[in-house]
Order: sequence, then structure tokens, then C-alpha cells
Amino acid sequence: MTPKAKINLISISISLIITVALTSILIIVIGKSPVEVFGKLFLESFSSGYGIGQVLFKATPLIITACGLAFCFHASIFNIGAEGQINAGSFVMALVAIKLAFLPVFLSLPLSILAGFLTGGIVGYIPAIIKIKKGVSEVITTIMLNFIIMALVNYFLLNFMAVKSTMRTEKISDDMMFLKFANWFEFFHGSSLNIVFVFALIIAALSYFIIYKTKFGYDIRAVGFNKVASEYIGLEPSNLIIKVFFLGAGIAALAGMNFIFGYKGYYEYNFTNNLGFTAIAVTLLAKNNPVGIVFSAILFGVLDYGGLAINELIPKEIMFVVQGLVILSILSVNSIVERKLKGRFGS
Amino acid sequence: MNLVNTLISAAFLVSVLRGITPYFLGASAANFSERGGVINIAIEGFMTLAAFTFAVTMSFTGNAALSIFTALFINVAFSLLYSVFTVKLKIDQIVTGVGFNLFIEGITKFLLMYFFHSSSNTERIEDIPLIPGLKSIPLFGEFFGDSIILFAYLLMPLSFFILNRTRFGLRLRSAGENPKAGESLGIKIRSYRVYGIMISGLLSALAGIWLAGEQNSYSDFMIAGRGYIAIAAMIIGKWKPVNIFIACLMFAFFEALQIAIQTSGTGFPTQFIQMLPYLITVLVLIGFIGKTKPPAADGVPY
Amino acid sequence: MHKAVEFINITKSFTGCISNDSVSFSIQKNSVHCLLGENGAGKSTLMKILFGEYQPDSGTMKIDGNEVRFTSPLEAIKLGIGMVHQHFMLIEDFTVWENVALGYEEVKGFKIDKNSIIKSLNELISKYHLGIDPEMKVSDISISAQQKTEILKLLYRNSEILIFDEPTAVLSPVEVNEFYKIIRKFIEEGKTIILITHKLEEVLEIADKVSILRKGKLVFETTREALNKEILSREIVGDVKIEPIGEKLDHTEIHNPYIAFSNISLDENGVFLLKDLNFEVNKGEIVGICGVEGNGQTEIVDMICGLKKQTQGELRLKETPVSLVPDDRIKKGMISQYSTAENILLKQHDRKVISSKYLFESGNYIIEKYDVRLNARNSPLGLLSGGNQQKVIFARELESHKKIMVFHQPTRGVDINAAAYIHKRIVEQRNSGKAILVISSDLDELFKLADRLLIIYKGQIVMEISGKEFQDTSAHTELLEKIGKAMIGI
Repeated sequence: MTPKAKINLISISISLIITVALTSILIIVIGKSPVEVFGKLFLESFSSGYGIGQVLFKATPLIITACGLAFCFHASIFNIGAEGQINAGSFVMALVAIKLAFLPVFLSLPLSILAGFLTGGIVGYIPAIIKIKKGVSEVITTIMLNFIIMALVNYFLLNFMAVKSTMRTEKISDDMMFLKFANWFEFFHGSSLNIVFVFALIIAALSYFIIYKTKFGYDIRAVGFNKVASEYIGLEPSNLIIKVFFLGAGIAALAGMNFIFGYKGYYEYNFTNNLGFTAIAVTLLAKNNPVGIVFSAILFGVLDYGGLAINELIPKEIMFVVQGLVILSILSVNSIVERKLKGRFGS
Repeated sequence: MNLVNTLISAAFLVSVLRGITPYFLGASAANFSERGGVINIAIEGFMTLAAFTFAVTMSFTGNAALSIFTALFINVAFSLLYSVFTVKLKIDQIVTGVGFNLFIEGITKFLLMYFFHSSSNTERIEDIPLIPGLKSIPLFGEFFGDSIILFAYLLMPLSFFILNRTRFGLRLRSAGENPKAGESLGIKIRSYRVYGIMISGLLSALAGIWLAGEQNSYSDFMIAGRGYIAIAAMIIGKWKPVNIFIACLMFAFFEALQIAIQTSGTGFPTQFIQMLPYLITVLVLIGFIGKTKPPAADGVPY
Repeated sequence: MHKAVEFINITKSFTGCISNDSVSFSIQKNSVHCLLGENGAGKSTLMKILFGEYQPDSGTMKIDGNEVRFTSPLEAIKLGIGMVHQHFMLIEDFTVWENVALGYEEVKGFKIDKNSIIKSLNELISKYHLGIDPEMKVSDISISAQQKTEILKLLYRNSEILIFDEPTAVLSPVEVNEFYKIIRKFIEEGKTIILITHKLEEVLEIADKVSILRKGKLVFETTREALNKEILSREIVGDVKIEPIGEKLDHTEIHNPYIAFSNISLDENGVFLLKDLNFEVNKGEIVGICGVEGNGQTEIVDMICGLKKQTQGELRLKETPVSLVPDDRIKKGMISQYSTAENILLKQHDRKVISSKYLFESGNYIIEKYDVRLNARNSPLGLLSGGNQQKVIFARELESHKKIMVFHQPTRGVDINAAAYIHKRIVEQRNSGKAILVISSDLDELFKLADRLLIIYKGQIVMEISGKEFQDTSAHTELLEKIGKAMIGI
């Protein structure tokens, strides 16, 4: 293991310990036992096939979106527009799937996934081009675009596509639905875990490969580390930023597959429920490393599913607190650790 | 015709003039922080936190003054924490803002459930008492009698005065424009940045308190993006109090218009009005509508 | 006359690089004292020590005969010392009076007493004939007016010792005359002035006393009466050894331009950074460009790299992109977080997939071939010494096999061995048929490398010297004097 990886692992561990400690204090304050709560959380999550299945099911979209964000973050693009990118992409994905129902599945399915990817990518392309041409930071534009996209999706959905008095599209044809793990393994009985999880793992593996093992990945990270130098070295950072924003936003949008093809069979307005923001926390905790993202997404999956399990002890909303604490503690621990190291190397 | 009648009614005017309150308080909150050089995209979270604290204290004690004080106090504490992250530890201000929003969302959801066993809202709370005397003004009683509204209106000239005419304002702005130059003249840049953030916490608290008071409860997601609209108003208003006020007036008009259209049943798609603040902001940023320039050292840790 | 400032054995170094080496001299009260020297001679460092921005490693400093030790500029300001930096410390969005009053505001109740401030500013403005409007925004006024704002800042704080870092570099000739008038007025008022400068005319015009620093040491001191252009220009350039490496080429024999600047002008906000610039670099030759920094060198590099576009004229390049070793390696040359092999990789465009094995092998190859010294192969480049960092950047550019190579200050901050190594390899590259441009402010280096030498001043080539000329050892003293003068525009 490289020293850098060791340092990362240590600071991640410290952050998790701080999070657990602070959460425990909160639990004690309201008169419950942290041991009991955390014990039940992990027991319920991992003692049954159903629990494991649900945890992985919850982790699936987080893995996909976080991988998309990892590309952006490596290039120092602060994309907080994932929420809009996922909704736009997923809406179009479902739409294409519905409209192309007359085609054989092996055509309609890839086409609708591609449509989702491209739509997400285009939504990412807008702030990218504004950043490059006008020098406007992507932070504000992506926040604003989130709201614009949600309003547009809402308009088109309600006025043209929605099933009456609901906020969702009609269902896609059954043969486009992915198989659930429970269909093959009795172990996962009842859980919604489906093929998209495998797809998410493939995306994570591919992202890891592209970011750390290709020239393109080295170029992206070089731009993120030092934009001026990459300009002099001839990497054309503007070009790369546009590509990465498109790619990252496109990947992030694919998270909708889990809900559409793996779970409900339709697009529902705002099904993301803050997925785009939680994914930021997942990515930060994993230090933008796609392999780390798989683990941190699973941790967030535990918090999401496990919340339900401990609801009889303590309101399940405690898990939102834990999510918030994780991100705040990783930020502060990182900053403190980096400072200590700087002192040591004297640079 | 129904809609037109609504739009020219005094009630509509009052709803616009009242509706400006949370936007202008929130936008001023964002502005005081940014003029000192610290981006605060946690306005949404700060408003949520204060609305929640106020409603909870109110429902347990029924004492409006105490509830307002508690909400302000908690927000100051969180502002200090935000300063530790952004000024002391120099962590990226955007990431910190996202983190605070997530954390506040989590803690309010949890406590809402813990205190009220409801995932959606608190119990109904009493109104914040209106100012006696002023409240009896015909038609506008609810406007002039509301102390937070009055404060918001006073804040426009007041924040202009503070930023442009006082020693504090000059030094705060130096922290946002060129901290190095300020420091070379002996200004304690970091302290001023912290003051800016604390004012930000206090003003966003008032915005949240007012909203909770308006709907006589706290409910999950009740801020509904108003914190971000406030930031949009600050950008469109070019970081200047008077312009920000005008931008907020426009957004308050959009909000009232949207409600009027929905209730009139004309079928005009309100989504387009909903997205207008954000769309205008993007257009302003691109330079289609006027030029806008943030403080030179906005967002740069120092 | 008594001494306003006295430096006694001031020494200051930055991470191994010595900037002031036991400097001792004094500045008379109520005089104009000029501090001369090339870039990196240590003038600015010394002044920043006087202004409290840096603390000396050793040595002492006396103000009006009392020993002082500043920990911040604020303490210096309190003792009546003020400094106008080369890059102004102004807030663009503030008005002149706001900039001046900041940190020193008169108040009336809660309100800043603008009227009273403006009144005292106007008094100062008319007394010193500054001719600026205190109510104007700094972003809307000229550079010269901005400089006057900085001066006003010092006057408003009652500074008695005023330090100016290259004050006339940004001014037009008319403005320079105005500036001299202001300085003379200061002297009438009994103030003490310290000027850091490159320009000889300036010294002759205004100085009472001159100190020349070279490589951190005080090398020459003289008074107004003994001032002499020739001596001064020689002292600035110093003892330059003309030691060419190998034979110089005669460029009249080759004409195959790989880089051609024809009538190129570059104008930014009305200031000409390059003006009617003409020169060529042929295949198989090394052209050196020499000049005081900030005379258009960076712009030439940026244009060759395609990062800036000329406002007029035509630039032709045989091949793009080119190889570049930039002047600021940390900011422009490398990714500090990347290892040696990873930095090399950035210019290997034919590689798509990068295996650890490839990185390992290419790292080994480079480390051996270019004699890079490091403790761990994977250590980030940021942790290596300057010389080794430079070798890696150098290796990357050589290994990218371009026809055109540009070296900007190729051996700055590099130890002697690494510098000699880099020089040797540059000449090798020329011999293999590359067109090479070396831009440097180090004359030693250029004499070693260049087949032709161009002197740049204010964005124009003011002198060209062929290799033949500097191989003729009999005329060296004259040649050096000529170059010294051309570099400072006389």
C-alpha cells in the first residue's frame, strides 16, 4: 500500500470513529443504548439474505452516481447538479423505454439507457460550457439547473406523460424489467436487489480503470491538481473539463436504471429524494476512489436500510444525522491530517 | 378575468409585500457572508434549522420571544461551527455548505420524529404576536404589525449603511475583496470573516422563524429551496442591498403570482414561473442580462 | 546627517537559497537611496525585511539609531516606514479614499467621517501635486493614479521612510517625470526615500546614493557625485565568463526557420507587451533571448505555446505543440502530486492504457538516463529537490521528441551540477537538428549555449549579437558593457 493510501485509510477510519462517537452521544442523550442501536443496525442488515439484499439494493444507485461525481471531482469540477442530471436522464430513459416498446428488448433497452446517459450528459454539458466560455463557476449554475430541470420535468410529466393523478409515467413493458437476484437465489428472497447492482460494480471497476490506469485518467487528475501546468504541458484543460462534465453527468444519470428497470418500472417525479447530494457524501468519504465508493455506498446503504430496522428503538431518521456527521467529520479530519503532513514535509 | 381581479387586489399587493421577507432576509444573510469573502450555500440549512428550533420551542413553551431567542442562539452556534470549517480549517466553502445542509436536514428530521412522532410536521403553534397599535391599520395591519417584516424592510437601508458607511462594513468588504491588502493595513481579516458568517446565521434565522410563524408550524422541506432563491437574488442584485431588494421583490411577485394562478384554475403551467428565478440567475451569470461581479476574493480561503 | 536606516550583516535565506548574504549599509536621512541589481539579487527581500514582511535569519537593523525587530508590517508602519509594492496592494472595488482610510478610519459615531478624511486627503493631494480624485473607484483610474493612491496611503499614515519597489516600471515617460517631482517634494519635506530599480536613467536622475546588490551581496556603493553610467552597467551585469560550449554556428549559413515572429505586437489594455517583434529560430541553432525580466519574455513563451494570441503580426511554427521547460516549474511545469514516471507520461500521447509495469519501467529508464536522484521511485515530484524536478521536466520534454524546444530560465534555482548537465543536453539537442530558443536573464548561461543572442527591452529586440562576436575574446569587456546598457534601455 502506498503511503498516500495508508493516510487516506487512517483519516477515513478516524472520521467514522468520530461519527459513531457523536451519534452515540446523541443516542445516550435521548436515553437509549448506542450498543443496542448499532448492534441491531448491523444484525438486521447482515444476518439475513433479505437484509443484505436490501442494503446492496440501496447502495446501487449511490455507487453509480458517486462514480460519475468521482470523475468530476478528480478534475476539480464541483458538480452539485447530480440531482437534476439523474432526474432528467431517468425521465428520458423511461420515456424512450415506453415509446420504443414495439422494438425487441435487445434494441429498446440499450437505446433507452443510452438516451438516459446522453440526457444526463447534456445537462452536465451546459454548466461545463458556461464555465469554459464565460468563466462562471459550476457551483451556482449546477444548483440553479437542478431547480430548472425539476420544474421542466414536472411540466412535461404532468402535462403529457403522467398517469392520471399521480406523479409518474406509465409502466414500461414487463420484458424490459431486469431480473431480481431473488429469482435465482432463494437467499435474497423478498429483496429488490437486481442486475443493476452488478452493472454498478462494473461501472465502478471501469471508472477505477479509466481514472487510474489510462492516459485520459492521468490527464483528468493532472487538470484537477494543477490547471495552469496542464495548460503549459498541452493537455487542453478546457476540452477535458467539458468531456469530464459530460461523462460524469451521464454516468450519474444512469442511477435511474435501478429504480426504473430494476424496481418500479416507471419514472416517478423526484424519486431521487436527495440521491444527488447523498452521493456527494459517498464520494467524499471514498476520497473519489471508485473502489472506495463501493464500500462507502454500502455503508450508506446500511444506514438507509438499517434505519428501518432500528425504528422500534429510535426514530429511523437518526440515519440522516449519521450521513451528515460522516461528511462533516471527513472534511475536518482531512483538513487537519493534510496540515499535519504539510508541516512534516515542509512544503 | 378572475385572475386579473386577483392581481389588482390589495390582498395580492399585501401578499407580495409580505412575501419578500424571507427572501430578503435570506439574501442579506448570504450577502453579509459573501461580502466578507465566504460563500454560504448553507442558507437553506440555516433557515431550516431556525424554523425548526423556533417551532419546537414555541410548541413547548408558547413564548414567542423565548422561541425567537433560542432559534437565533442555535443559529449563531452553527455559524461559529461553519466559521471553524471555512475560516479556521480553510475547508472548501462549497463542500462545507453542502455538508451543513445535509447535516441540518438530518438532525431536523430526526428531532422532528423524536419530539412529535411525525415525519412531516410539528404541532400547530401560536402566531407571533403582532405589534399592538400598528396591527390595527386597515388592510395593512398584518404587514406593519409584523416585527420581522418591519425589520426586513429596515434592513435594506440598514445593510446599505453598514456595508458602505461604517468602519465595520469597510473592513468586512476588504476581507471579501483583497484580504492581503487588508491585512497589510492591519485588518484582522479572519475575525471579520467570522463576523460576516455570524450575521449570515442571524439573518437566515429570522427568515426561517418568519416562515414557521407564517404557517404556524414547522414541516419537513418547508423552506423548499427559498435559501437557494435567496442566493439567486443576491447574485442578480449584484451583492448590493438595494438591488437585492428589488430582485427579492420580483421573486415575491412570482411566488404570489404562482399561487394566484393555481387558485384561479386558468391552467397556465406554473412550473415556468417556478423556474424563473433560477433561469434569470443563470442568464445574468452568463451575461445576457447585465454584468455581475462577485467580491474579488469570494470563496477564496484566507 | 544622521542615518535613517542601518542594516548590519543582514542574512536571509529561503529553503537553502540565500537571498541576502550578510548585507551591511546605511541610508541617510532625507536622501534618495537607490537599490540596484538584477532580478533575484535580493533587493526586494531586503526591503521586505525593512518593512517587517520578512524576518532576517541573522543581523540587525536600526531605525533612527535604535535597534528594531519587526514581526509584522504593522510595527514598521507605526515607526513611520511605508512601502509601495511592485504589485499594488489596492482594493479595486473601493474608492481611493476608502483604500487610503482602511484600517485607519476616522469615525463620527457609527459612521466613517468621510468628509474629514476627504478633507485631509485633498490637503495632501494638493500639497504633493498628486492630482487624483479621492472619490474615484480604483478600478476606474490609471495605473499612475493607482500608484498615487498607494503614496497617499503612506502619507496619510505619516510615513517618514518611503520604500518604492520598481515604481516607474509601469509608468509612461510623462508619468515618470511627475513621479520624480513628487519624490523631490518628499525630500523638501524632509522624508527619506528608498527606490528599488533596474533603470539607470532613474538613478542618474534622482539618486543621492546607490547600492548595488548581486547574488545577495552588496557589491558596490557610490554617491551622486561619483555616479557613472559605464561603471554602473558593468557592476549590475557583474563578472560574466564567456565560455561557450562547443562551436558556435554561423546562422547566415542556415536558413530554415522553425519559429518565425514577424511584426508581432501584443497589446493588453493599451500597454504594448510586445511591439513589432521580429526574430527567427532556425533548425539546428540555439537562439538566446536575454533581458531584464518583464520585458516580454513570458508573452513570447505564452504565444509559442498557443496560450496567448498576438494583436498584430504573424507567428509561424514548424510544428505544434512544442517542447517547453517553463520558468516557474512548480506552477507551470509539473504536477507536484505525480511521481517522476507519471509526470513523464503526461506528454506521451500515444499511450492509452497505463500499467504499473509500464510506469515502473519508464520511471527506471528516465531516472537512469537523466540521472535523477530520489529516495523512493514513487515519491511525488513535489518532494524532490529543485534540480531533480527540473531534470524530470527536462526529460519529459526531450522524450516527447518535438522539433521546436523552448527553455525559459532552464537552470534557475538548480544546483551547479544539474545546470551543467542540462546545458550539455541542450547543446546535444541542437546538434540533433532541433530549433532551440533559450530565454534567460543569466548571461553566463546564454553565452554558454547560444549561437545567437538577442537582447529584449520593452517587448522589442534592441540588439543582436552573433556567436562569432562573442567568440572573439579580445572584445569582451566592451561587449558586456554594450549588453548591460541594452538590457536597461540606454
